This record gives sequence, structure tokens and C-alpha cells, in this order.
Amino acid sequence: MNPIYSRRRRKDFVIRGLCMAAAAFGVTWLALILITLLYNGIAGLNLEIFVADTPPPGSTEGGLRNAIVGSIIMTVLGVGIGAPLGLFAGTYLAEYGRNDKLTSVIRFINDILLSAPSIIIGLFIYGAVVVPMRGFSAIAGSLALAVIVIPVVLRTTEDMLLLVPNALREAASALGLPRSLVIKRIAYRAARSGLITGVLLATARVAGETAPLLFTALSNQFFSLGLNKTMANLPVTINNFVQSPYAYWKQLAWSGALLITITVLALNIGARILGAERTAK
Amino acid sequence: MSELSVSMSAAGGLPQAPVLPEAPAKVTVRNLNFYYGEHHALKNINLTLGANRVTAFIGPSGCGKSTLLRIFNRMYDLYPGQRATGQLMLDQTNILDGKLDLNLLRARVGMVFQKPTPFPMTIYENIAFGIRLYEKISKSEMDDRVEKALRGGALWNEVKDKLNASGLSLSGGQQQRLCIARTVAVRPEVILFDEPCSALDPISTAKVEELIQELSENYTIAIVTHNMQQAARVSDKTAFMYLGELIEFDDTSKIFTSPSDRRTQDYITGRFG
Amino acid sequence: MAVQSDIIDDAGPYDRAKALSAFKLGDVTFYWITRLSAISVLLILGGIIVSLIVGAFPAIKEYGLSFLWTQRWAPSADPPVLGALGPMYGTLVTSFIAMLIAIPVGLGIAIFLTELCPQWLRRPIGMAIELLAGIPSIIYGMWGFFVLGPFLANTFQPFMIKIFDGVPVLGAIFAGPPSYLSLFNSALILAIMVLPFITSISVDVFKTVPPVLKEAAYGVGCTTWEVVRSVVIPYTRVGVIGGVMLALGRALGETMAVTFIIGNSFRISGSIFAPGTTISAAIASEFAESDGLHQSGLILLGLLLFVLTFFVLAAARLMLMRLEKKAGN
Repeated sequence: MNPIYSRRRRKDFVIRGLCMAAAAFGVTWLALILITLLYNGIAGLNLEIFVADTPPPGSTEGGLRNAIVGSIIMTVLGVGIGAPLGLFAGTYLAEYGRNDKLTSVIRFINDILLSAPSIIIGLFIYGAVVVPMRGFSAIAGSLALAVIVIPVVLRTTEDMLLLVPNALREAASALGLPRSLVIKRIAYRAARSGLITGVLLATARVAGETAPLLFTALSNQFFSLGLNKTMANLPVTINNFVQSPYAYWKQLAWSGALLITITVLALNIGARILGAERTAK
Repeated sequence: MSELSVSMSAAGGLPQAPVLPEAPAKVTVRNLNFYYGEHHALKNINLTLGANRVTAFIGPSGCGKSTLLRIFNRMYDLYPGQRATGQLMLDQTNILDGKLDLNLLRARVGMVFQKPTPFPMTIYENIAFGIRLYEKISKSEMDDRVEKALRGGALWNEVKDKLNASGLSLSGGQQQRLCIARTVAVRPEVILFDEPCSALDPISTAKVEELIQELSENYTIAIVTHNMQQAARVSDKTAFMYLGELIEFDDTSKIFTSPSDRRTQDYITGRFG
Repeated sequence: MAVQSDIIDDAGPYDRAKALSAFKLGDVTFYWITRLSAISVLLILGGIIVSLIVGAFPAIKEYGLSFLWTQRWAPSADPPVLGALGPMYGTLVTSFIAMLIAIPVGLGIAIFLTELCPQWLRRPIGMAIELLAGIPSIIYGMWGFFVLGPFLANTFQPFMIKIFDGVPVLGAIFAGPPSYLSLFNSALILAIMVLPFITSISVDVFKTVPPVLKEAAYGVGCTTWEVVRSVVIPYTRVGVIGGVMLALGRALGETMAVTFIIGNSFRISGSIFAPGTTISAAIASEFAESDGLHQSGLILLGLLLFVLTFFVLAAARLMLMRLEKKAGN
């Protein structure tokens, strides 16, 4: 065989091998993380987790009820505030402002906020909400999560609405529909599964967010539903328990981590299935 | 040359009936110009659409026939940088009036598009949707109106058992008739057809053409088509456009048998286009 | 003028005008709701900048530019001495090492997924990589703290320290003793975290290469690697760099994955196996219990981080936009 060619072949062979190794490397991490999570998390997973509140230091009984409830409350509030804002903003970009200068500026800024460090969002809410309100609170935590939700939902909303064919908008306008109804009744409906995908992805994103809650909602040991006080939540509880010297707290941290991961991955997979349905149609 | 066109139009089934009496004008176009930004797309168009007549617009791609159609319901307003000058009257209403309520105009001037555009909802809802916008009526009245509209779109017999199926589940030809029924349901005065059969098979095309003829009893119709036989089959008047100008506008039989302009003759005999 | 018939009966245009005018208010309201929501994005950015500057102001006034090159971090001294050099060093070093690992691996996976992988395997592997991106960062941190840190300290670190012992420069970089908490451990966790970003963006931009270009290259007898190197990568270079910058933005600002395992040491050490800290880790571990000048100093750190990531992310977006434009034409 031609020596140049065989050298090229060898090189190609080596690089192909390296690429496969890279893929194996990536998948291995995922497997390792999931396996250790399952192994350590399941050990502590029992009914007590869901019915008992977080234990005081040194105690060997207790669960995560207050943290789970707090996380659900703040996630729901955060998505409840952020998703409509993101949805409407994305609607403006895709429907009204397609040829605006304002639109391209907002899109650019939004893309930056989309990847901005979440701890910065925590600092922002600390300065804008916690300091004026003179105290950490669940509402501050929810607002921090909302600020993270907005860019995610905005981006998917805009993308999904841009996929709706213009012919459909023209057809609706041709019936004499006012612009807002064309959007609400036709464009939203045509893009529905895509819009839900966006909200699910945003929920998945904030369900495990820790950094923005560290100094907005803080966390505590107790069950509380008041929005103007600190509120227990899973991520910060895990954060506190991981670094503690108590074995039982560490066990609770593993179980909490497993719960969060399962939730987040389920939301992610759900969003993807929904998204795939849309493209298949 | 004229023999050729006669034989062609005979094959296309040109209605040999005597030319209908001149109809009162429903839409009047005077010195209409249209611009896409800098581009002067329509130049000084003058014509009228007769009430309860079918007017066909033919011409090679890019001649401005679709552009003209989209001025009749101000569809171009959805996009920036497009403007029209001149006079365009629908009965006593100035269509180009900047203060005109466009939704009201579009309710009076319906449009059917090149590709079928059923809304992502049930067949029933596709029709009821437009009606509900303007009228508050009871469920039974609505059922009645939906049936009437679907009959008007020659679709009732095919869908009466599956009104709750998605509009998207219909075949292409059925979808297009659903769109026609939807347009008819809001009771417009004028219906614009923008190449309504270009995405359909021959059998569906024949059904839609038949439907257009029936609709002309009650509506004023404008149709843009690439298919000259279609123009010959369905229309009373034909306008031939070329490079943004209206070259010739006359009775369809006249256009297809003895056009007065050289370019019209070249186009209908297939010299270009 | 219109002919009356059973289809056109009683409804006149007048009724319609009335029905439509009922929508007018809703129409205008909806427009403004969406427009104001869109503008709220700008307000958030403005709010972030203003609140950071206001919060950091006391520290800026106290330390001025010397904040940037002071290594000492002694919040409980009187008066407190605060310097950003340690966290800035840690942030840059961990991100740099993370990118060093993640770029080749991420690109390798992307090439595997687009050029080599059999069709049936493409979805599961692509999905696994995307799921990796979905795992919350605190899980990475926890896993690093309990599993990866001990593992590295017992195996990889002693191995490297032994190999490079006595070698100039490298000996100092890989200096002992092994540690559960170190810059290198944090960097490895960061690399695993940003890997999916690089891969998924690269896969997206690789798909923008027109098939004819690739076919032409295969047509003259190029091997897969040659096609990738001389057609795919040159064609998508801007996009790949954009994706890398985006990942870098993530790595610079990542908090929870790093906080547990970096050691929170403000002292700068030449060895990557020594503990250190990053801007975000410093804020995360000290902010809730800080006050006064200490707190202001932490906010100033946050401001620095924000400025840094803003420019990196802005550059990333501009590059990705350039590729989009190219693909659009």
C-alpha cells in the first residue's frame, strides 16, 4: 500500500478511536454519578423522609418534609412569576417586534442572562429585595428563581413561535382576527407543546438551583409556609448537611440529592419527549 | 395563433355561454401603485371587480398578481416597509384609508391561500371560531351555521361524522375546502383566492373550481392562478399582468380567443411564463 | 349591493364593528403587556448592574484598585483587609484547566456523534450528554466532595506528583501533598459540567455544514478525520469558538460544583493540587454570615465576576450570531 495513504489511514484510525473514547468518557461520568447517587440515596429513602422535618444537629431521626415543601412552594412561585413574563416577552420578540431594533437588543441581553452565573442573581435579589425588606424570605428566593426562569422561557417561546408558519397567521388575520387573538388563539395553540417544553425546562433548571437561594431564602430547620420569612428548601439543606460532621445529615443529603436529581431528570426527559412529539408532527 | 388558443380553450372547457351583462362594480381600483421598500412592484393599476363575478388574475411569476390580491384585504400591512398609493374602493369604503379598521375590512374581504391552512383545532372549531368572534349565538344556532358553512364548502358529507377530528387530519383537498368553508362562515362580501389549487391533485382541483363557480352566485370573487385553463374555466373576467403592469383586462372569452395585446397572446399560447 | 340569499341573511357589517370594538382594548392591552415584559429583561440587567455597584460601593471607596492585586483576605482584621487576587487566580486557573480538558473531549464527542456514530446509538448518547447538562450543580459538588475528591487524592494525584517530582516548572505545578480539596479537583468537576455545552453547541454548528462540501471532500478520497479537520472545523470555526466561550462563561461563574471541593483558601499556591478558592465559592461560603465592609467586598467580587462573564458571554453570542448569519445565507 502507498505509504502516505497508510499513514493517513493510521492517523484517521487513531483519531476515530480518540473520539469514541471521548464519548465513552462522557457517558461514564453520567453513569458514575447516577450510580453513586442511587446507591447512597436509596439507603435512606423511606417514608420518614416525607413526613418528618429536618433534625437538629446530632439527632438520628428526621426527614426532609419541610425542605421538600419549601422547595415546591418556591419553585412553583418562581415559575409562576417568571414563566408568564418570559412567555409574554418571547411573544413580543417573535410576534410584534420581529423587525425592531429593540428586539435584537433584548435577544442579545437575554442570551447573556441565560448563562449568567446564578450566584450573581442571588446577589441582585439580596440587594433589591432582602435588604429593603430587612430580612431573608421565601418571596426573595422565589423572585431569584423567577429571574432565572425568565430567560429560559423567553428563549424557547421565541424559538417556538418563530416555527409557526406565517401562512397560519395570515389565514387568521384574513378572517378579521385582531392581532392579539391571532397570537393567543392560533399561534399559541400551534406552538403549544413547544411552549410547555420551555416551561418544563425552566422548572428543571430552577428545581435544583442552590446558589441564588443561599442568601435570599436562606433555609431553616422548621416547617413554615410564611412567604415573608426564611423557608427551608432542599438544595440549601443539602448544602448545609453535606459539610456537616453528622453521618445522619450526610445520609439525608444523599437522599435529598437523589430526589432532586430524579425530579430534574424526569422534567428534562418529559420536556424532550414533548419536544420530539412536536417535531414529529 | 388564434386557432391555437381557440383549440386550447375548448380543451379547457371555456364556457361558450354569451358574455354576462356588465355587473355593478364591487371593488374599484384607480391608479394603484405598490412598493416593497424601494421596489416599485405595481404600476398604475386600473380595474374593477364586478359584483358576483369571478375575476381571474394571470401572468408569469413575479408579475404582481398575488401582490395585488393582498392589497384588497391589506394583508401587506402585516409586514413593514410595504406601501400602496392610489385609490381602492370596496363599495363606498376606501380600503387604503390609514384609519380603516383592518379587522373589519378582512371580515368583509375573505381570503383563501395557496397552501391549505387549517387551524390546529377540530373541524367544528375551525368554522365556529371565526363566527364566535363577531356573534354571540346559541349552541344549536352554531351547529346550524357550521353545517351551512361546511355545505357551502362542499365538505359536509365527508366530515359530518367526524366534526371533532382535528382539521389537520383531513386530506389536502379537504383541508382547502375547510378553509373555504371557514372563510364563507364569517359572511364576507368578497373572497380572494391566491392560487387555491396549486397544492392540490386534479380531482380536488376540480371540486374547488366547481365550488368557486357556485360561490360566485353570492360573492364577488378574485382568483390568482398560474393555470390558464383554470382561469378560462372559472372566471368571467380575466386580467393579464406582466412586470407589475396590468396589460389587458377583459371578458375571459375575449382574452383567451382574441387578446388585443401581443404580450397577452404570447403568454396564453405559452411563448413565455 | 350583495345578493341576498340563505347564506347571507341578517348579519350586517354594523354588528361586526360593534363586536370588534369589544376586542380593541384587549388588543392594545396585550400588546403592551408583551412589550413591557420584553423590556423587563433590560430592567433586570440594569437592576443587576445597579444593585451590584451600590452594594460594592463602600468596598470600592475603601480599597480602590488595590483590591485587584491584594492577596490577603482578612475580613475579621480591624480594619478588614480584603483583596481579590486569590479568588481571581482560582477562578481563572480552574476555568482554564477545565477548558483544557473539556474542549478536546467535548469536540471529540461532537465529532463522534455527527460523523462516526451509528444512527441507532446517536440518540441515546446525545440524550445522555444532554442529561449531564441537566443535573443540578449541587449534585456535582456533592459527588465531587464525597466520591471524586477522595478518589483523586488517593490515586491520580500521588501518581502525578511522583512522576513530575524534580522536573522544573511541572514539578511545582504538580506539587504535593495530595488533597481532597484542590484547584485541580474543582477544575475536573467543572470540565464534566461544561462538557455537554461544548458538545451540544458543536453538534448544532457541525450540522450547518452543507452536505455537498463534505461529500466533495470525501469524493477526493479524504478520510473522516481529514474531512473534519479541513472542511467541518474551518467552516464552523466561529461557532465552535462561540460554544467554547459560552462554556467558559459557565465555568467562570459556576458556584455549587466548586464550593465544596476547592478548600476556600485565599492563599495563592503554585501547585494545582493545593486548595484555593474562586469568586463564586468565596461569595457562597461567606456571604450569608457577612456584614459591613466584608459584605461589600464580596459584592465587589460579584461585580468583577459579572463584568468578566458578561464580556465572555457577549463575545460568545456575537460569534454564534456570525455563524448563524453565514448559515442563513
